[in-house]
Amino acid sequence: MLCEKCGKNHATTHIKTVVNGIVREYNLCENCAKAFSYSGNTLTGVLASMFGDITNISSTVEQKQCPVCRSSFADIAKSGKAGCTECYKTFYNELLPYLKRVHGSTKHVGKIPNSAPLMARPKTETVEDLRAKLSQLVAAENYEQAAIVRDKIKEMEAASNE
Amino acid sequence: MSSWYQTNGPQDDIAVSSRIRLARNLSGIPFPARMTNLERAKLNAKVKKAIMESNTPFAKSLKYIDMRDVPETQKYAMVERHIISPEFAKLKDESAVILSSDESISIMIGEEDHIRIQVITSGLQLSEAYDVAERIDSLLHGSLQFAFDSNLGFLTECPTNLGTGLRASVMLHLPALENSGEIGELSSSIAKIGFTVRGMYGEGSKSAAALYQVSNQVTLGLSEKNALENLNIITTQLMEKELESRKKIDTISLEDICFRALATLKNARILSSSEMMQLISRVKLGQSMGILKIDALPIKVLVEAQPFMLMQKYGILEPKDRDIYRANMVREAFG
Ligand SMILES: [Zn+2]
Ligand SMILES: [Zn+2]
Repeated sequence: MLCEKCGKNHATTHIKTVVNGIVREYNLCENCAKAFSYSGNTLTGVLASMFGDITNISSTVEQKQCPVCRSSFADIAKSGKAGCTECYKTFYNELLPYLKRVHGSTKHVGKIPNSAPLMARPKTETVEDLRAKLSQLVAAENYEQAAIVRDKIKEMEAASNE
Repeated sequence: MSSWYQTNGPQDDIAVSSRIRLARNLSGIPFPARMTNLERAKLNAKVKKAIMESNTPFAKSLKYIDMRDVPETQKYAMVERHIISPEFAKLKDESAVILSSDESISIMIGEEDHIRIQVITSGLQLSEAYDVAERIDSLLHGSLQFAFDSNLGFLTECPTNLGTGLRASVMLHLPALENSGEIGELSSSIAKIGFTVRGMYGEGSKSAAALYQVSNQVTLGLSEKNALENLNIITTQLMEKELESRKKIDTISLEDICFRALATLKNARILSSSEMMQLISRVKLGQSMGILKIDALPIKVLVEAQPFMLMQKYGILEPKDRDIYRANMVREAFG
């Protein structure tokens, strides 16, 4: 990907900014990223007071309680903290605007438990892995992919015989 | 084995240490602030079992410590070594920490979140530290099943930690930027892109030893990888700015400041904590600029000369005696 600013260098930096709850992502090269983070004049604060105003919550929300810890939305807003993990389910809709204000996003990106760690370096495939893949592809009659894998196996075997 | 402050690390002429913290919680029980002591004791036991009986090789280097068995002095000495948070040290309730023998890994149980995994290293080693924390996270998740929501990510007591639950930070030595006043301006522009800069080892935002911590703020909607990359970039920029700023100081004044600081540290008989930190900061500056040829690690001395570290080593001391012991210790270190 090329840098959005100069369009010349390879974009290596993904910077995210939050301005009045609006998120913008920039893909920049190292040089432009440097210039960017020091310009800093068009951006406003990221972490404004999170729960600034909760005056207009409806009475149905007012009466709602977390089934696990009995917290009300007012409890959470006052302390700025949830009572338990279930609070997030109970007050999900009420919390969204505040999360948007704080993080600029309401959608998690990153590690998902029980899945392969996203930071892990790509595992190098062994010849055995590739053979298994090859037979799967052949069985699925995906000959185009199979040919690529077969060539890869040949390459690896040739390299190990050197 | 040695702790982060006792060894050299990559780029530690300015980047003193790197720290990763992951916040994790369990479902079905309140967050620690609302837990009973019985619930806390159960949580401790559960986490202890999950990690100590995990049969992984690295679990052998870990030690489970019940915080109620730790004397106050030692708790605050742990805070001074950045192994536990000051909030955690203050807790009177059931709480525990699992610590590796080199103190690079500390898992706090019952802090703000049920579990806080911390990895601290010397120098600039964010991704290395993250890899270790990530492995512990996956290991613990295997038996504990952390609370996770596909939209909100890992659920935490404070909504500011939702998502990755990752707080990554680098402690930087920035004497020239502090002296020129540039640090204030830089801090506010860094704050605008979702990072914070704050002084370490000092009152308020001012640092006694020109040590500043840079850390990420946004945890939701930004992957661990991107957060670490961005922090790395900001850190590198700050380091470059610091070097530029150092070049502007005229050589003879710089030499004078550094040599005077070293002379005082080598000769003082009474040394207050704040004077010690100011002088060590200058000596570190002199050392990293090649002005002072010394083998001692200034940050090691700085940490070991903190009040509770001294009290732990020499027994409970009155502040006046402490300043004498500090002077002795420092004199020996730079002698
Ligand atoms: Zn560019
Ligand atoms: Zn709740």
